[in-house]
Amino acid sequence: METQAEIDFQSAVSAFSAAHSEPDWLRNLRLDMLEKYPALALPKFEKIRYQRWPLTAAHQPTVQASAAADLATLDLDYAQAKNVLVTYGESVITSKLDPELAAQGVIFTDLFTAVRDYPELVEKYFMTTAVKPDANRLTAFHTAFLNGGAFLYVPKGVTIKEPIQGYYIQDSTRPQDFVQHVLVVADTNSQVTYSENYATVGTEANLANVVVEVVAADDAQVRFSAVDQFSAATTAYISRQGNLANDAKLDWAVGLMNDGNVVVDFNTDLVGHGAHTEVKVVAVTTGDQLQGIDTRVTNLGQHTIGHILQHGVILESSALIFNGVGHIVKGARGSDAQQESRVLMLSTHARGDANPILLIDENDVTAGHAASVGRVDEEQMYYLMSRGIDKKRAERLVIRGFLGNVLTEIPAKRVRDQLTATIERKLENGQKSE
Amino acid sequence: MSKLEVKNLHVAVVDEDKSLQKEILKGVDLTMNTGEIHAIMGPNGTGKSTLSQAIMGNPAYKVTEGDVLLDGKSLLEMPVDERARAGLFLAMQYPAEIAGVTNIEFMRAAINARRADDDQIPVLEFMKFLDKNLATLDMSDDMVERYLNEGFSGGEKKRNEILQLMMIQPKFAILDEIDSGLDIDALKVVSKGVNAMRGPEFGSLIITHYQRLLNYIVPDTVHVMMDGRIVESGGPELAEKLEAEGYAGVRDDLGLDVKLTDEI
Repeated sequence: METQAEIDFQSAVSAFSAAHSEPDWLRNLRLDMLEKYPALALPKFEKIRYQRWPLTAAHQPTVQASAAADLATLDLDYAQAKNVLVTYGESVITSKLDPELAAQGVIFTDLFTAVRDYPELVEKYFMTTAVKPDANRLTAFHTAFLNGGAFLYVPKGVTIKEPIQGYYIQDSTRPQDFVQHVLVVADTNSQVTYSENYATVGTEANLANVVVEVVAADDAQVRFSAVDQFSAATTAYISRQGNLANDAKLDWAVGLMNDGNVVVDFNTDLVGHGAHTEVKVVAVTTGDQLQGIDTRVTNLGQHTIGHILQHGVILESSALIFNGVGHIVKGARGSDAQQESRVLMLSTHARGDANPILLIDENDVTAGHAASVGRVDEEQMYYLMSRGIDKKRAERLVIRGFLGNVLTEIPAKRVRDQLTATIERKLENGQKSE
Repeated sequence: MSKLEVKNLHVAVVDEDKSLQKEILKGVDLTMNTGEIHAIMGPNGTGKSTLSQAIMGNPAYKVTEGDVLLDGKSLLEMPVDERARAGLFLAMQYPAEIAGVTNIEFMRAAINARRADDDQIPVLEFMKFLDKNLATLDMSDDMVERYLNEGFSGGEKKRNEILQLMMIQPKFAILDEIDSGLDIDALKVVSKGVNAMRGPEFGSLIITHYQRLLNYIVPDTVHVMMDGRIVESGGPELAEKLEAEGYAGVRDDLGLDVKLTDEI
């Protein structure tokens, strides 16, 4: 028997879908997942205990606008960008795409516009390839309560030189869920650089549920970078899923600079022959937060290459867990899985873990891993301080050096500079109590 | 004029594994003023590097007795960065390598650490000064864009230490075996850098095994150190005497009962 609450959610989800003039397939998928999600299992990640977090404590979905003026506090720098989407809560603040790209068939718009204007194209890729709606409780919840996001489509043979940028801002000036879906499709032999930023305005304790899908067809090349900065009051599930066809290449560079509890679920499936991914992750953890990061690459096709590099810094009484999972399935001959996870602890109250996990079901492969949890090198500190640099600044320099090999991989200078500034801010905050 | 004084300095190193404390310096006395170059010579294992680290404030070295004063003010309670800002500089024998931090960024941070937040060195002024010092040391521009000491050869590291010295302009520079591992050309370049610093506002304490360096940087005073003490002081001619007679000769002249590390 259905409870009153579930009935209410059904009608609210239906009404929400109708208000956005969604096609039937999406409304039906939402309702299906609304029914299924409570019974599905939560995804399981080694050593990351997040099961009691309020990640499925949904509010009634209602259509509500957010005030663009709130964004002034964030100092977002997108005025010069040619291809940019800015959303705040459920409101689209800016949506720009170079007309030349639009003429070539490139689509970059918010998700609700996309499902109305390109229903078949979205339906073909939306949670069909990189991740399935019923993969787990959080993906199913995501599908049911989805209330924002973006769609980027790069047609066959099109090369986009200017980066495509998305800013997705959570409105926590009131109780409201932030359930975002970003779908990136790079069709055959296309090339694109995409960067995205998440942040929070307001101090309300809300949940964030982000699912990003990157589908790269044969010979496509995608450079993806992200800076996540959800607030201390936000509890987040962040999932980024890639699916690569023959000889496709996907480079991830992600900075996890959130201030609250976050569980991160990265997976890239190297399906086609010769597919290649480089996953680079940096994280800074402060206060009493936990960031649990599970980064997985699955080599399915032959001669595929999957490399994971994760560097993180832990301050105060926070915790950071890096899992690196390299999985080579039987038949993926000639494949390569390498990973390195390193954690630097700046405080005796901090907790950190770096777990390399290699699952190899094929003999003709190369694989390797390195992991470490350590402290700031005393000799480096002494050397810097012997030149007059004070302890905290010296510490930040050493840390920036430690995170540097990921930072340098970020293609857009603006994103790189912004991430550097974000790291500096987070470190300075974290050092205050040391 | 500034004055650096070392008074009856006793320094021990602590062996963490055995929790033993071993005394290395057994009462060092030394006074120097800006405008002067002093050299400390002595055999291996006699405490020369310990003296330089203790003056700079390396936490691994423990002062058990005595004092180090700059212009009459004790430095012992000051951490290393404060001592540096007060005017001390140590060119290290083994500089640390720090990936991800560029040489140029590091030097700017070091200079700005000595200036107020609202009075940071203008970029143009910094670059001009840097170019001038690079030219003196015969160093290429790309050296400063590289990560701090990372992958530098032994000679490059030594030059980089002197470059920092010239950029930071301390009151007193201690050069700890700046000549080790240098060929004669590099030695000349490094000496040129140090000599360019000479003047009434700069003093240097040069630690070396060999008299050779002192042909290029001529000291005002030479001290001989053995077994944790300064056993003799004199003019530049003392260095020549050491070169001719060896440390054992000087020891025997002084009638000291000291075992030299490298003695057969």
